[in-house]
Amino acid sequence: METLLRTPVKELIGRHPAAGLILDAFGIGCVPCSVGTCLLGDIVEIHGLSPEDESALLSRIAAVVSPGRVVESPETGAGRRRSTSRGNRSPAVKRLVDEHTLIKRFIAIVPDLIERLDVESARGRQMIVDGVDFVRTFADRCHHAKEEEILFSFLDPDLDILKAMLDDHRRGRARVKDLLDALERRDRDGAAASLAGYATILTDHIRKEDDILYPWVDRILSTHQIGEIYARFDEADERFAGMRANYEAFVVTLEAQFSPRGAEVSQ
Amino acid sequence: MSGYAECPGSRMVDFTKKDAPEEAGGRVASQLRQWPIQLHLVSPQAPYYKGADVLLAADCVPFAMGNFHTDALKGKALAIACPKLDGGQDLYLAKIKGWIDDAKISTLTVMIMQVPCCRGLLGTALAAARQARRKIPIRCVVLGLQGDVLQEEWVEA
Repeated sequence: METLLRTPVKELIGRHPAAGLILDAFGIGCVPCSVGTCLLGDIVEIHGLSPEDESALLSRIAAVVSPGRVVESPETGAGRRRSTSRGNRSPAVKRLVDEHTLIKRFIAIVPDLIERLDVESARGRQMIVDGVDFVRTFADRCHHAKEEEILFSFLDPDLDILKAMLDDHRRGRARVKDLLDALERRDRDGAAASLAGYATILTDHIRKEDDILYPWVDRILSTHQIGEIYARFDEADERFAGMRANYEAFVVTLEAQFSPRGAEVSQ
Repeated sequence: MSGYAECPGSRMVDFTKKDAPEEAGGRVASQLRQWPIQLHLVSPQAPYYKGADVLLAADCVPFAMGNFHTDALKGKALAIACPKLDGGQDLYLAKIKGWIDDAKISTLTVMIMQVPCCRGLLGTALAAARQARRKIPIRCVVLGLQGDVLQEEWVEA
């Protein structure tokens, strides 16, 4: 079982595709991951399953990997965690989740933005430039920078889930650059594809952070560390004083102009 | 029958049939790093509160929780109070506000017993936090009568 827990998930799913289906059945969506170097044991730990689910998941995967062999049950991470579970989001993590909410409201408008994308008129181009400003300043410099410069510095930099999150940030930034390049060329289809690509990356990225990374962070960090992170978030937000209200107003204006859709990202 | 007889805060409960196992290893080191500790006696400006993680514990908490020093007090500055029997609760509110605004504490953990009267201590802490200019993370830990952690969560003022 120890060997199985130390197996990188991409290698596991590559050799045993059924393992990917089992992970999926337990709400662990590793199959489409772009990195896939996370160890199975770390993945199971980070998802915070109940001891029963964790044991069932590992037993089913073990049966796929070594059919017919009796594999001993490991001490589950869920069992180790029970005594320290805190139940709800810390104020530091909650602030990041609240920022996600505004970003998701912007993403919910993207399909309508694409439908009415206008790269020819100055007004149409300005709307895209304003959207890019929201993405680069609020989503990236304000929100992602808080993660990269503060939150992640409290975690092991070698963790694969951090590498995956940083990779998402990089891919999102690349789509935004592609969008501006397409706008420069007056390439409507290119701009639409870049915008749609950004929305897809961020939607998936936010889901992973809200559902997996942040709950795990709240389980492993101490009260002292949460206090430190919260104070450093305060300092970081001072650099953007007043801007949050402006960006909220921007999203409200877009929502009034376009009808948000995509229920999966609007909550 | 006493007027308190049906109050969960003072109802008589006998735990003697349940022998708690003793830990091996002898003396447990105290994690207390200050004096005084009673909330009426402490000054919010005391150096040990500056930038600290503060534990505000109801009076009964350390008696109920067997591993209070290692699991709850370690690394924290302390104050104790009883929201039911202590007078001058308005002074308590002012002192907690002083911790947040003047001592600039980093976090506040409020540990209370499961009995309803203990909720008053959390209420006072949250009222102080609402009045304070600074915002800080606040945790509430609720203990059962034999010291088991029943609930542990971050709370908003």
